[in-house]
Amino acid sequence: MNKPTTLEDIIGLEYTKLGFFGEVKKNMAKLQATNRKLERKQRKLEAIFGGISDVMVILSANFTIISTNDLFSTVFKHASPRGHFCYEIFKKRDCPCSDCPISKARQTNKVCRKTMALDIEDKHYQFDVTVSPLRDAKKKAFRFLVLMRDVTREKEYQSKYSHSKKMATVGALAAGVAHEINNPLTSISGFTKGLQRRLPILNKNLQDTEENQALMEDFTEYIDTILTECDRCRDIVQGLLTFSPRKKVDFTSLNLKRIVTGVLRLLHHRFKENPQVAITLKAEKNIPHIMGNAAELKQVILNLICNSLDAVDGQGFLELRLYQKENQIIFSIEDDGCGIDPEIMDQLFDPFFTTKPIGQGIGIGLSTCYNIIRQHQGELLVKSNKKEGAVFTMILPHPDEVMS
Amino acid sequence: MGILKFSVPEIFLGRNSMKYAGVCARRLGAKKIFFVSDPGLESTGWVDAVFDIFDHEKLKWVYYSDISSNPRDSQIEEGARLYEKHGCDVVFALGGGSPMDAAKGIALVTSNGGRVHDYEGANRIQKPLPPMVFMPSTASSGSDVSQFAIITDMERQVKMSIISRTLVPNVSIIDPTLLTTKPRDLIIAAAVDALSHAVEAHVSRLAFPLTEVHSLRAIELIMKYLPLTLEDNSLANLEQLSIAGTSAAMAFSNASLGIDHALAHTLGGVLDVLHGIIHPILLPSVMRYNLPKCVDKLAEIGKVMIGGSMGSPEATALAGIEALENYFKSLGVSTRLRDIVPERSKIPQICEMATFDSCLLSNPREADAEDMMSICHDAW
Repeated sequence: MNKPTTLEDIIGLEYTKLGFFGEVKKNMAKLQATNRKLERKQRKLEAIFGGISDVMVILSANFTIISTNDLFSTVFKHASPRGHFCYEIFKKRDCPCSDCPISKARQTNKVCRKTMALDIEDKHYQFDVTVSPLRDAKKKAFRFLVLMRDVTREKEYQSKYSHSKKMATVGALAAGVAHEINNPLTSISGFTKGLQRRLPILNKNLQDTEENQALMEDFTEYIDTILTECDRCRDIVQGLLTFSPRKKVDFTSLNLKRIVTGVLRLLHHRFKENPQVAITLKAEKNIPHIMGNAAELKQVILNLICNSLDAVDGQGFLELRLYQKENQIIFSIEDDGCGIDPEIMDQLFDPFFTTKPIGQGIGIGLSTCYNIIRQHQGELLVKSNKKEGAVFTMILPHPDEVMS
Repeated sequence: MGILKFSVPEIFLGRNSMKYAGVCARRLGAKKIFFVSDPGLESTGWVDAVFDIFDHEKLKWVYYSDISSNPRDSQIEEGARLYEKHGCDVVFALGGGSPMDAAKGIALVTSNGGRVHDYEGANRIQKPLPPMVFMPSTASSGSDVSQFAIITDMERQVKMSIISRTLVPNVSIIDPTLLTTKPRDLIIAAAVDALSHAVEAHVSRLAFPLTEVHSLRAIELIMKYLPLTLEDNSLANLEQLSIAGTSAAMAFSNASLGIDHALAHTLGGVLDVLHGIIHPILLPSVMRYNLPKCVDKLAEIGKVMIGGSMGSPEATALAGIEALENYFKSLGVSTRLRDIVPERSKIPQICEMATFDSCLLSNPREADAEDMMSICHDAW
């Protein structure tokens, strides 16, 4: 037990009434140490957050932004998002969005994922959004951690990939069909031409009656029609054959500007019919020659200009530009026509897709163009707002970059 | 003389000084006061008076009065639990030694943790206590100025003394008006208790000038004013007794006590007799036993008792002791041990236990169990 008390203990010279000053000092030191530890921890967390390549936001339950990482300001072009409502910045709205993943996470108290389309400075972006509720000691969500990954490019690649897969299938099918049709078509065409050659003989051997005269006229007309239709079939088959990959042996060095001016000359009569359409061509000087097939590229350019002419419908402007950018040779054609409905944007380059009335087009146009440009290792892009016209851009690689 | 210390709290002394209770507590940081008292005081109305003072100061309070006449460990623990539960910040005690010692125990446990037992002995408290404001209702226990707290360990059936300067309250408010409700016998018991404190402190081995002025003054005041008070229970007389009790407390809480208290503590523990009535029986015998070692000190006391000097210091001392015995007789209290101890056979056991009492340390003449037995026989 305790040692027995002595007189010295009672005097207690070394002891004094304990005050709180020492205690406060001790507590202060303890608090300062804890504070330092917390600060370090916070800095560590900040470094982790800073290193995350996703946009990170912490939101309160009423959609107010409490903190963000640095990336937020860069992506959303907003210097001080703190204190704003998320929907203000994301969607420029004044109330929460109807399909808000945060609301869902709050209701379910579970992590919620969603892909959201957002416009930032007129550009479309797609974000994979993950909302995790931050729970307090009672497991109640009081804040939300929102991670946003920009998947715009991924989605683009994805759709490009699925399109090219579709094109490959269609290409194989088209090439097969084309070959199969080509042979009987050659026969039909050949024999019809044979018949045509024999028409004068037939005419000579017939009695010159009015009845025979009419029969002869029918024969001549029908044979002509068969031949014309055969030619059309041949063109279609030719078009279908562009779907299948070919060798590039027939690529030559080409002056793209000369091709464009050639096409414009070809269309001279159509421009004359549409005097209200202003057509300009802005071509940079010293555009390098490209490697390609002149006939095919002509077809593409012709097709694009015709489409634009159809879109402006007799009144408007067409602006053609030819320029070089970062080792790419770019031809673009912009019009202020009817534009393209966003709903059909995805199908635009599909084979046999057309918006023209039945009989006016065969729908092979844009998909053929697409294939031709692909085979030139280029890209054909379209951008359009409904009713504000469209821009088609044909991007071809610099000849030095073309892979053989 | 070696190096000694004199420590006292801030002391308020005077009629109606109790009105400063709230202000004091507030100055010490009080928002919610833990108020300790006992049921005896509730009936006098003083507890309500203090409630009013706190309410007037807009201070919240938690009242705790489950205190027996020798405060128990379990009562301390319950008090500390309540203190923490209600988030109190200052301990206030109103009453005699029991509520004040209990308040000290509660303040100790709540700030240092553990149980009271962990701090038994001297100078074992490590952390500061919440501020303590004490208002004694009898000017004799001295707990309101002292560094001692006595708590009963119910399991071992012993009184634990806890000694630490940290147990000295921050403020002691001594208001003689509190004495106006005391019955005659309690006034006598308290005054006799204070007188014995003063006498033992005066001859203590730890006595030094700062305590001696207080012990002598206390003796002088009690000798004069106790009889006057018994005749006329006036506030003026009670005030003098208050001053005497406080002086005695300041003396003994710094100089400690002697054999009389060592035996009184033990008798109190064994027989559960009122502290105050033991001193008239033992004190003269103890003084006689101590005489060889402190003739001059006892002569100083004698001079006060008889109002003059005899031929030699020893004669003055002896005359003083005699005067004291007569004084006790005049008060009509028991003066023989046989009046309060039922069996003489208990004496050896009591004396044996008294050798462990820390009051024995400061007694001017060393004493073992046998020496104390002879004192007891002398007083039988």
